[in-house]
Parts: sequence; structure tokens; C-alpha cells
Amino acid sequence: MNLYEKTATELSDMLRRKECSAAEISQEVLERTETSEERIGAYITRCEDVMQQAEAVDKAIAEGRALHPLAGIPIALKDNISTKGIRTTCASRMLENYVPPYDAAVTEKVRRAGMVITGKTNMDEFAMGASTETSYMKVTHNPHNPEYVPGGSSGGSAAAVAAGETILSLGSDTGGSIRQPAALCGIVGLKPTYGSVSRYGLVAYASSLEQIGPMGKTVRDTAMLYSLICGRDQMDATTVRREYPDFASALSGKVQGLRIGVPREYFGDGICPEVSVAVWEGIRLLEQAGASVREISLPDTEYAVSAYYIIASAEASSNLARYDGVRYGFRAKHYKGLTDMYERTRSEGFGDEVKRRVMLGTFVLSSGYYDAYYKKARAAQQRIKRELADAFRECDILITPTYPTPAFPLGEKSDDPLKLYMSDICTVTANLSGLPAISVPCGKTASGLPMGMQMMAPAFSEQVLLNAAYAYETLCGGFWSGGTVI
Amino acid sequence: MKDYEIVIGLEVHAELNTQSKIYCSCRSAFGMDVNTQICPVCMGLPGALPTLNEKVVEYAIRMGHALNCHINTVCRQDRKNYFYPDLPKGYQISQADVPLCENGYLDILVGGEARRIRVNRIHIEEDAGKLLHDGAYPGSLADLNRCGVPLIEIVSEPDLRSSAEARAYLETIRSILLCLGISDCKMQEGSIRCDVNVSVREKGTRELTVRCEMKNVNSFRAAVRGIEYEAKRQIEILEGGGTIIQETRRWDDGKGMSFPMRTKEDAQDYRYFPEPDLLTIVVDEEKVQALKESIPELPHAKIRRYMKDYGFAEIDAALITEDIERAALFEACAESGRCKPKNICNWILADLAKYTNDTGQKISQTPITPKRLTELIEQVEKGVISNTAGKKAFLLMMETGREPLAIIEEEGMAQNSNREELRQLVREVFSDNQKSVLDYRNGKGKALGYLVGQCMKRSGGKANPSLIREIVTHMLSE
Amino acid sequence: MRMDIQHIAKLARLHIEAEALSVFEKEMETIVKMAEHLPEAEDALLPDRETPMQLRRDEAEDGKFTREEMLMNAPEVQLGCLAVPKTVG
Repeated sequence: MNLYEKTATELSDMLRRKECSAAEISQEVLERTETSEERIGAYITRCEDVMQQAEAVDKAIAEGRALHPLAGIPIALKDNISTKGIRTTCASRMLENYVPPYDAAVTEKVRRAGMVITGKTNMDEFAMGASTETSYMKVTHNPHNPEYVPGGSSGGSAAAVAAGETILSLGSDTGGSIRQPAALCGIVGLKPTYGSVSRYGLVAYASSLEQIGPMGKTVRDTAMLYSLICGRDQMDATTVRREYPDFASALSGKVQGLRIGVPREYFGDGICPEVSVAVWEGIRLLEQAGASVREISLPDTEYAVSAYYIIASAEASSNLARYDGVRYGFRAKHYKGLTDMYERTRSEGFGDEVKRRVMLGTFVLSSGYYDAYYKKARAAQQRIKRELADAFRECDILITPTYPTPAFPLGEKSDDPLKLYMSDICTVTANLSGLPAISVPCGKTASGLPMGMQMMAPAFSEQVLLNAAYAYETLCGGFWSGGTVI
Repeated sequence: MKDYEIVIGLEVHAELNTQSKIYCSCRSAFGMDVNTQICPVCMGLPGALPTLNEKVVEYAIRMGHALNCHINTVCRQDRKNYFYPDLPKGYQISQADVPLCENGYLDILVGGEARRIRVNRIHIEEDAGKLLHDGAYPGSLADLNRCGVPLIEIVSEPDLRSSAEARAYLETIRSILLCLGISDCKMQEGSIRCDVNVSVREKGTRELTVRCEMKNVNSFRAAVRGIEYEAKRQIEILEGGGTIIQETRRWDDGKGMSFPMRTKEDAQDYRYFPEPDLLTIVVDEEKVQALKESIPELPHAKIRRYMKDYGFAEIDAALITEDIERAALFEACAESGRCKPKNICNWILADLAKYTNDTGQKISQTPITPKRLTELIEQVEKGVISNTAGKKAFLLMMETGREPLAIIEEEGMAQNSNREELRQLVREVFSDNQKSVLDYRNGKGKALGYLVGQCMKRSGGKANPSLIREIVTHMLSE
Repeated sequence: MRMDIQHIAKLARLHIEAEALSVFEKEMETIVKMAEHLPEAEDALLPDRETPMQLRRDEAEDGKFTREEMLMNAPEVQLGCLAVPKTVG
């Protein structure tokens, strides 16, 4: 097996046992990327110093220094995560040539651990989308079938892992943007509890909903990366101070007595039968291993999508106000006066989906409408939060599909934004409530497209979540039998 | 013409003199080279996040206590959204619904009369940058150093009724800020700014009428002029049968007029909503109480106390309390009980003030101490030295640091206040100037002054002049 | 509820082309419509006491970033300042 086909766990072991070098790993990943990138298009920017980064790790190993378990492992970062000296575009014309003068908190952690940053991955523009099709830069193709979308908005991060163009990646999840592409590309993706990972340096879309999260081939890989990035950061006031365990080492695989809740509202008419069957098969597998399953009802789920779009758009309209051509980014070439400069810059710099959400957000916050929309959405959010908290009194985890369908063809849904919005029904409640949720592969459709199963747990219960996911992974013989998807 | 009443509300913005800015750890300093006091946070780079400076909350609460406000121990920040080149994020982090302090009041003195002005709220927010203009460049130039400097905004109710009241209110606010040490209040540096809201209505009516907001009021004097101009302008419109348009106007102190600010195409809609990057501000009750106890006696309270306890006029009380060292010196001297407070006041406001002005020194940099000043004044009050000698002794003391008693001794300043000796002297002068004595007894009043002068001369200037005058007058009437 | 697209665009400093205007309007109205079935909100959104914020100590850090670094992405810099067209009003 090629090195790029292995998991981070395996590679970390091999490095420790000196069975391979960091340079060899990076070399293979680079070569792999050379051959597949034209087909996949996962990267917006590929780092030119990958080998130097890897060599530095090898040098440290040779000097006998103690290194982080993930040292020398290649990682790709979604292009909305600030990387000092490496352009960070958010897949937008607005930031096409923007080079941050500082690292995001997670970038610092990744660097300090000695991971090898392979590049910045493609995404929906400013993380607004579920297919990576709104990217200004390029199209990313699903490694399982290049005519299909990889999902979004962290489509590049998911595709890169699935195609062997990196070993691990970081994405961001505002309404499902880690979990859904993970599902559509057949990998694992975790949206952590809100406040467990610093957002300092994450280009903001919806501040109160989003988190950076790990994406990898296996649950253990994902757990290792989560351990690296979680923690209180004094630069992000919304992060929480607490002790986090070493998640990977505590994975047990035991599900005896695990109480699984299955909310019927997440299995509505929009869910395609193949997905529903696959998820239920997964649930039964866990039940046979000793978990108890009960069907529950979460009626407030019906408000989730509206509440999500109102809150997310409102915050987005404010977060994106800074893109005005004054301090950085795109500025229109021709304008008359300040207001015209603003309008042209923003109209030419932003794509249609971004404009739509900024307009929507501006509207719901505008005078006379705040009470009717924003305030009601926030109230609905509180209800959803309470309803989930109540459910977790009787359940340890909830299991749902991650997404109603497998990947869809490129160009299919992009003309009907509302249809796309409604598909977020399974994922947005985790963002609205701040709870952790993970997507794991649960088989492929007859046509060979991956499907995803989502697990949700109470706040800061990532260990429970990862355990359950790990158990499932073990029970179905592993998600990664070696090789890559293509 | 109808009888009109002016209704004024003031919004004061004061920059807090914390070390770092409100949402980042950039140094909060005035006068630095452009764009050198900035970081990703205050510059609004993508991905940057705010973190709240605890001192800002403390300072705001202390001001809240000083203005008798209710402190909201649980509150939050909100975003105020608008586009302007000096506002990097495209929104200002401020407080909308739940300010840190509210429903307070300030008692001011206007022409000796006490007036209570209600304070609607005090909230914390960040300052914006500065737009500069240079002849060489046709547009505007943005310096972001000031972005994120912490501000408190103090909003009064429209309780003020004259430009004099407005001035008194502003002076009092300023003195409190200085006394608390939370702002350096340098209007010329922009560390204290004021927006003025003016409306007029017929005397006797209670409803609030259309008001105009005036910006660019850069001094307290400008506030006074602006209010008077604006009131006159509005009254003229009303008298002419017109209606006042609610608008924001710009005060031009040079021209002595206000002009409507070019209205933007749409009225501003700030779309306030809770700041999602900052969590709830929760201050515990003990801290609030401790901050309250840390408030010193405030200037206006001190003024009232001086007027009451010592019978001072407002102006003198204000001048003494204006400077903390003056007030401390005064109180120490007064406490000794050895001399009259009124005299202490006069010496501090005249001789000491002149000296510190001339030399540019602070009181603490001079040799003056409560003991020395008290001694000096005591000697004058007792008549040991004349007032004139006293002034001379004062200067010598300040210049050389010698003790007053030593100076009086060494310079031989003591004047003769021995009645027997003086009576003898007067008798001698009378016998030498019998003509003048006769002139006086024949109605020539001026002779008295002449005789007094002769006595002083005979004594070589050493006689106590007021005693001489008394004795001369008495003997002339015998 | 009929939204004034032009007004919102102005507030958001966006310029929507005439042809795109009606499409935009229709899309937004559809999205907003789904919000209409949200339940009535209870009292005003009070600050959440459950998660109080930890405040930062008042300590200034000097020399973190140079002017060059901070302005390196600026479209136009004059005399060390960010240059913009003349402001109105």
C-alpha cells in the first residue's frame, strides 16, 4: 500500500518506529496529488515548501526530540482558515489575492505540532453553500464520481482526504459544512461543540454557529486531530475553559448500555430510501452489539432550517460588511465617489449566493423587521436547544442521516437555492444548539456513491460521540480497507 | 413673540485612559505615527475576534456610581452596523438594549442654584479611526490608530434648559472624569467629545418637540454658542410659521453657524443585534460594591460642601476643588483651625495660583506645605506682619524654601502692633503737625490720611497700618 | 410583507442589476416565506447568564505588527494611510 493510502494513526506509528520518514510520506502525497488533482480540483493553493516542512520533522526525529503524535502528517486547511504568508481566499474574488499577516489559532497549533501543511482547499464562497459549486476559483469533483459534487462548503477538504491528496484536513461547519461533504465523500467529519475550538483566524460567516473541525479517513484519525485543535484560546472569547481528555487513546469501541435516540423528524419525506435503509442498518448493528434504541420525536425541528438561515444570514450580513475595498481584498477598478466604490467592489467581488445571504441578513435585521424575523428565529433556536437537551436526558446519542441523499451531479441543484436549503434539515440543529455531531460513512448506493450517518451528543460529550462512532466503525469492519476511493 | 423654552440633551463621549484598547491589546495612545498602533483585531482583518478589556468595564461602572446610576451587572454588547472608511469592521461594537449603567442623575450648580439633570445611560463602545485630508491627495486618508480606543458614552435626558446649564453639566462631567482618573479629557485631542440635541417649545408645554442633533462641537464654549445659535434658528423658523426638520447638523465654530450635514440617501438604519463574538458581561455584586467604595469625594460634592461649611461663593469653591492638590492643601490648612478658611482660600487662589502659573510648577513641586501656609496666614491675621509683608514672605518662602517664621525674623518684617508705643508715636506726630490736626477738626477729611502717612513714615514703615489708622482716628475725635 | 429590494441593497452597499432585480426579489421572498411559520417569540432576548465571559487584563503589547504588515494587502496606501475616495457628508 502506498503511504498516502494509510491513516494518520498508521503513519504516526510508522514514523515512531522509523519505518518511514516524514519526507517519504510527503513525497508520496505530493506525487499522488500531481496525478489526481487535475481530476479532483481539491486545492486552491498548494504549498511549495511541503518537502522542507517534512524534512524539518525528520531532522527533529533524528535529533531524538519528543514530537507530537501528528508530527510529519500531511494536513490540508480549508481556505477560510488564516495562514500567515499563504493566501487565504475563501474561494472568493473578494479575497483572491489576500495574504493574511497572521495565523489562525488552529494553524498555529498545526504548525507547532510539526504537521506538514499541504495547501488550502476549495470551498463554497465564504462557506455559503452545500456543494462547493459557488467557489469563484474552481470546481471540485467528488473522488467517487467526478461528475458529482463533493458536497460543501468544505468540499475541497473532504475530497483531498478521500483522494489521498492529504491524510487529514480541517474544515469549518456552520450548518453542516464538515459533516455533509464528509458523508458525500465517504470520510469522517466532526463538528465539535461550539466553544471547544478557537475561531480566531477563521474568516467569519455566522459567528454563533460555526466551528472548525477535523476530517479524516477514520474515527481515530479524526479524534487525534480534534485533540490537537481543541482548547481555550484567549483570542476567542467564545471558547470555553475546560480539561479535554486524549480522545483517541480513550476510544473503547464498547456500546453496551449506550442509549440511542432516533428522531423521526430527521427521517422525513425528503430522505432518499437508500440513505434511510443504510442508516437504519447502522443503528441495528449497534443495537445488536448491546446498545438500546428508541424512536423519539423532536417537533421543533420543523423550525430549524428557517431559524438557521435567518440567524446565519443576519450574522453573515454583518461579518461581510468589512469587505469594502479599503484595507484589503478586491477593489473595483472604476467608481465615482465612496458609495459607488463600496457598491461596485462588493457587487463585483461577491458571487450571487453570498449576495443573496447578505441581502437576506440585511433585511431580517432592518428596521421594522427585526422582531418578525431575527427575534423569532432566536426564540426558535432556544426552543430547539431546550428540546435537544431534554432528549439527551433519555439518550446518550442521537442517530440520523447526515444528508438526505448521496452526492448529486454538478450543476443540478444550483438553480434552486431553496431546494438546497431544505436539505440542511439534518445538520443545522447541531449548529443552532452548539452540540457536537459527527458524520461517518455508512455504505454506498448502488451507483457507488457514499452515504453518511450522523451521530449527535450533548455539549462537550465528544468522547461519547467518538466512542460510538468508533464502535460502529469496528462493527462494520472499518471505513478504510486500504487504498483510496479511486 | 411667544415665550419659548430651550430643551437640551447632551451625549458625551469620553475616551478612557486604559493601557490597551477595548477589544485588543494594542496600546491606546494618542499622537502616534499613522497606522502603527493596529493589529488584525482593531483593523478588522478577516478572522479577527474581539476580547473585552476588564478595566473598561471597571471604569464605566465607577462613572456609573459617580452619576448615581443603576449598574446592570448582567449586560452584553451589540453591533451597530454602518459603512464608513474609519470603521474597519463595517460595524461598531457598542451597547444597545442593555447598557452597563442607566437611570442616574447629576446635580449641577448654575449661578449658585442646584439643578438635577437625569442621566439616561452610560455604555461602553469602541472608537473609530480618523479620516485625514491632504492637499496632495484628492480623497480621504484613513488612520486606524484610534480604532478600538475605549469610549464611554454618557447620555443625558433632555433636562437642560439653557446654554449655561449645558456648560455647567459638561464642566461637571469633565471634573468627575478627571477626579476618577479614567479619562484625561483633552478636548483638543478629542478624548472628550460632545453631541448636542436641541429643541424649542412654548413655555408651559410638556411634550418634546422635534429636535436637531449637532455634531462637531469641539469645545464647551462651542457647545454654548451652538446651543444659543440653534435655539435662535429654531425659534425663528417657528415664529415664521415653519416646522423644524429633524436632522443632524454640523456646528461650524469659525462661522458661528450650524449647517445640515449632507443627508445620506437613506436615513441610517443601524440594524442593531447582539454581538455574537462576545459573551454576556457578568459583574459580581461584591466587585460593584468595591468599585462604589473606591469613588473619592467628587468635585461637585466637594464644592457644595465648601459652600456650606465655609460659606464660599461657588466660583471660589470650584476653583479650589478644580485641582486636587489645591483642595488637599486647603483642607489641611482649614483643619488646623489656626486661621480663617476665607483667608486660606484667598492665599491659594491669588498668591499661590499666580506663583504656580508663572513657574509652571505643580503645588507638590513647590516648598509649600500646609504647616508653612498656615503659619504665614496666622502671622498676617494676628497682625504680626502686614499683608504686603506677607506676600513678600510668601515669595521668599517659595523661592528659597525657608520657613515663614524664619523669614519674618531674618527680614525684620514684623510690624509694631504695640498700642502704647504707637499711641506715643501718634502723639509725637500730632505735635509736629498741629496744622493738619487743626485742618481735620475744621472739616478737611484728607488730613487724616496725611497724618496716617506721617505716622507710618516716622515708624519707618514698621507700624501696623490699620492700628495706626485706628489710633489716629480715635485721637482726632477726642 | 413586501421587501424593498433597492432599499436593502443600498443598506448592504450592493448593486443589483436591473435584470437580476426581480429574480433576487422572488428568491428572497420564497426564503423569507418559510420564516413566516416560526412561532411567536416570548419576551425580549435577555443576555444569557449561563455563559459569563472571561475578561482580558488591561496590558498593552507593543510591536506585535508593523505598519507594512498590516497594510500589505491594502489596495491603495498614501502617506501611510488607507486611501479612499472623498467621503460625502
